[in-house]
Amino acid sequence: MPEIILKINGGNYEVKAATTATLAEVLREELGLTGTKMMCNEGECGACTVLINGKPMLSCMTLAIDAQGKDILTIEGLADPVTGQLHPIQKAFVEHSGMQCGVCTPGMILTAKAFLDENPDPTEDDVRHALSGNLCRCGNYRRITECVLDAAEKMRMGEKDEK
Amino acid sequence: MKSEFSVFGKNMIRKDAIEKAKGEVKYIPDIQLPRMLHAKFLRSPHAHAKITSIDTSKAEAMPGVKCVLTHRNVPKVHPLRKFEYLLDETVHYPGEEVAAVAALTPRIAEEALKLIDVKYQALPAVVDPEEAIKPTAPLAQENYGTNIFHGTDLVQIPRLDKDHWLRLEVGDVDMGFSEADQIVEASFGWTPVQYNCSPKPRTVVCEWTGDKLTCWADTQLPLFVWQDMAATLGIPQAKIRVIANGAVGGYGGKMPERVATLAAIMARRTGRPVKAAFSRAEDLIATHHRISYKNFHRVGVKKDGTMTALYHKILAHWGKDTTVPYICQGTGLLGSTMLYGCPNIKGETCGILTNTVGYGPMNGFGDPEVIYTVERLMDMAAEKINMDPVAFRLKNCMRYGNRAMEYEQVLYGPIRWGILGSDLNSFPELIEKCAEKAGWKEKWKGWRTPMASKGPKKTGIGMAIGMHHTSFWPSSAVVKMNQDGSANVLSMAVEMGQGYGTIISQIVAETLGLRYEDVNPTLADTGATPTSRGNVASSGTSSPANSVRLAAEDVRKQLFELAAPRLNAPVDALEAKDGSVRVKGTDRKISIASICFANWQITGRANNPPYDSIKDEKSGQVIHAYAAAASIAEVEVDTETGVVDLLRLTSGHDCGRAINPVLIENQIDLGLVMANGWVRTEKYVIDEKTGVVMNPNLIDYKLSTFLDVPKSEDFQRFYVERPCAWGPFGAKGMSETAMTAVGPAIANAVYNAVGVRIYEGFLSPDNILRAIKKG
Repeated sequence: MPEIILKINGGNYEVKAATTATLAEVLREELGLTGTKMMCNEGECGACTVLINGKPMLSCMTLAIDAQGKDILTIEGLADPVTGQLHPIQKAFVEHSGMQCGVCTPGMILTAKAFLDENPDPTEDDVRHALSGNLCRCGNYRRITECVLDAAEKMRMGEKDEK
Repeated sequence: MKSEFSVFGKNMIRKDAIEKAKGEVKYIPDIQLPRMLHAKFLRSPHAHAKITSIDTSKAEAMPGVKCVLTHRNVPKVHPLRKFEYLLDETVHYPGEEVAAVAALTPRIAEEALKLIDVKYQALPAVVDPEEAIKPTAPLAQENYGTNIFHGTDLVQIPRLDKDHWLRLEVGDVDMGFSEADQIVEASFGWTPVQYNCSPKPRTVVCEWTGDKLTCWADTQLPLFVWQDMAATLGIPQAKIRVIANGAVGGYGGKMPERVATLAAIMARRTGRPVKAAFSRAEDLIATHHRISYKNFHRVGVKKDGTMTALYHKILAHWGKDTTVPYICQGTGLLGSTMLYGCPNIKGETCGILTNTVGYGPMNGFGDPEVIYTVERLMDMAAEKINMDPVAFRLKNCMRYGNRAMEYEQVLYGPIRWGILGSDLNSFPELIEKCAEKAGWKEKWKGWRTPMASKGPKKTGIGMAIGMHHTSFWPSSAVVKMNQDGSANVLSMAVEMGQGYGTIISQIVAETLGLRYEDVNPTLADTGATPTSRGNVASSGTSSPANSVRLAAEDVRKQLFELAAPRLNAPVDALEAKDGSVRVKGTDRKISIASICFANWQITGRANNPPYDSIKDEKSGQVIHAYAAAASIAEVEVDTETGVVDLLRLTSGHDCGRAINPVLIENQIDLGLVMANGWVRTEKYVIDEKTGVVMNPNLIDYKLSTFLDVPKSEDFQRFYVERPCAWGPFGAKGMSETAMTAVGPAIANAVYNAVGVRIYEGFLSPDNILRAIKKG
């Protein structure tokens, strides 16, 4: 099995991975990064979304070897690594109960992050369309939309504060 | 209303919120143990066949394969009291487990399955339930003699009639119909099968240490998994520890599976832990889904809207078997009798076996499947006497003091009547509020008049009511005080996402005057928590959470007894507040932490009391709790394409008392979204001849997405509070009720839009166009 180097959450990881191994498998089984959750393992639900070079990608549909040399962000890397402070989207999910069973949550949060990074001031409709590839069997769509809009507002205010 | 509570009734942050937002929560599939093997299952391609030979030699010789099981080398036991053996020589649906392989990796196990050579002799099969009840039909279970289920040696159904039907009659139905001015009846198509689609496909991990077994099972019923494994493995429950901490969204479907026992056998034989995780496709093909009913209803009404008689006939399709024989239908019969205060009711039902995947309970447990059609018939009756459907429901809905039946009694004893608690008075309140919030008066233009009409697009509005029981089952809990005055609450019930761990922590904090953050739950572990039945029947709040309240009261009593001499005050002068035991009305207090530090053995325990003890204060009769719902839907139907757009949904629910309002709203949303999928998008397609599932993936089996539900401002949900005599601080279960009224409200709105009644279960474009064409 070839040895590959993956850059995950800012750190380099050397792993042996079969050429057929998906990124999801390597993250979960080789590296123990089980924050990347799986619902279908066939590219249908969005739960296993990670950000690769800032873009939301399905880790179950991505070969690990193809992710070499790219910046991979998983849910484990979203909170501030020094202070441990949650990302505003995570904070909104915590405060407003954006999750029920929680399986879709990491994928929702990362998809929302990629979206808000590009669209800091979205409408409700924008959010619904941006997240429509992520399934939530607990039907928490309305609450998740509220969380993402709330986080967007907080992030805009945070940026203003910094300026 | 100013709350007398400090933690109860507040939107406390979920106990599992941070770990879920950070992806740190460990679900059963996330478990990895040293030397763990992975199990995969070979499944029958046939609906009904006898295995004539099975050769596993090549699979066993494959490097990395550690164990292969077939019917020849597993014990001849009936798992879960089923017809068949653990692995059987005869298979009864396409998907049944034929062999199991445990190997070093999931891929090796999958490859090894391909090397197993099975020869089958096909047996006559039956897939269509209406064919199956004909006397000439092939037998789904070849040795059973009939396709109508009536019990086995392992499953006794004492209340069935000689023809194997379950019947229930109250009052005098013939007389009731003779008094009616109008009799309205209709036969509806099969209600849609729905795949519960837990976000995590079924997974178990089994590990032996010495002669003791630990099984991590993704189930909502650890108790039943525990009992079944003990029975099938032939070892005492004391040596088996089932842990369902980390179970995920069951929605009624995460019942025990035989794979737990198979994984345990493979772990025993290999001396290594074994994980058995279904793929999404396996979960779609080989787990129990929502039961399907074909319903006939007849109602008698007077001109003024008074209901005089009701008759229901329910054919229930079970597929190869059901997880809870006749109990779903028992519930359905009651669901159809518990919405309206009609004096004369008759219902009858039978359960039909075929050679398809099994059907059983799912979110609503037998009620949505009958309310979906009853509520359409009620609209037909209201139209017949030209009465507004809201007014019709207000006139007839169940109320406090109406007689009600305890559903378990339908099957297991004489029918016993109690009366409805005052909480069921929420029906009129819910109907009125729902109509007001939806703007019914302005929007309803009368029968056969759509709300609006623009070319081929017609807009319609429809209402329905619903209800579900909230069970008050045996359960127990322990509250364990720690030396620093914090508390752990132990309960065998399961946190699946509904928020159970959060609400019991709120209840303990409220009862003991502790900070919410100083209470933490330990759940769903048969080796560490006192027995409860699990999270089914919307019972979490009414049963195990109530035992938690009583256990916390037991702790409080002990704290008071220890504090009284030190505070030099009688016990009844004390209160627990802000982390201290205080003398009421004074500043004399002693901190709970100091009491616990000195007396660190303080442990409270309690059992939920038996139902019979819950008496109505006025009448002295045993009372029953149900949760009520009312929904109004607005839809736009394109009469050229048959496509329905759900424009607006208003839905109200009764929760007794809200322990955590945000959690309740989330559970309401779950019901609304699930109901929308059930009647509109989630078509489960089975080949009519072979019984094979044609769409076992989440592209072709369509769950509702963000875009299939109305936007926030058009998606109104609310709850009312009428304290329930049973539950903790007046709270009661409401989760499953949430979906019961939504399906029929959408169907009634479609009728209002197009003026043609759709009798089919699935409100798909083809069914709608066909109905419009037929007129």
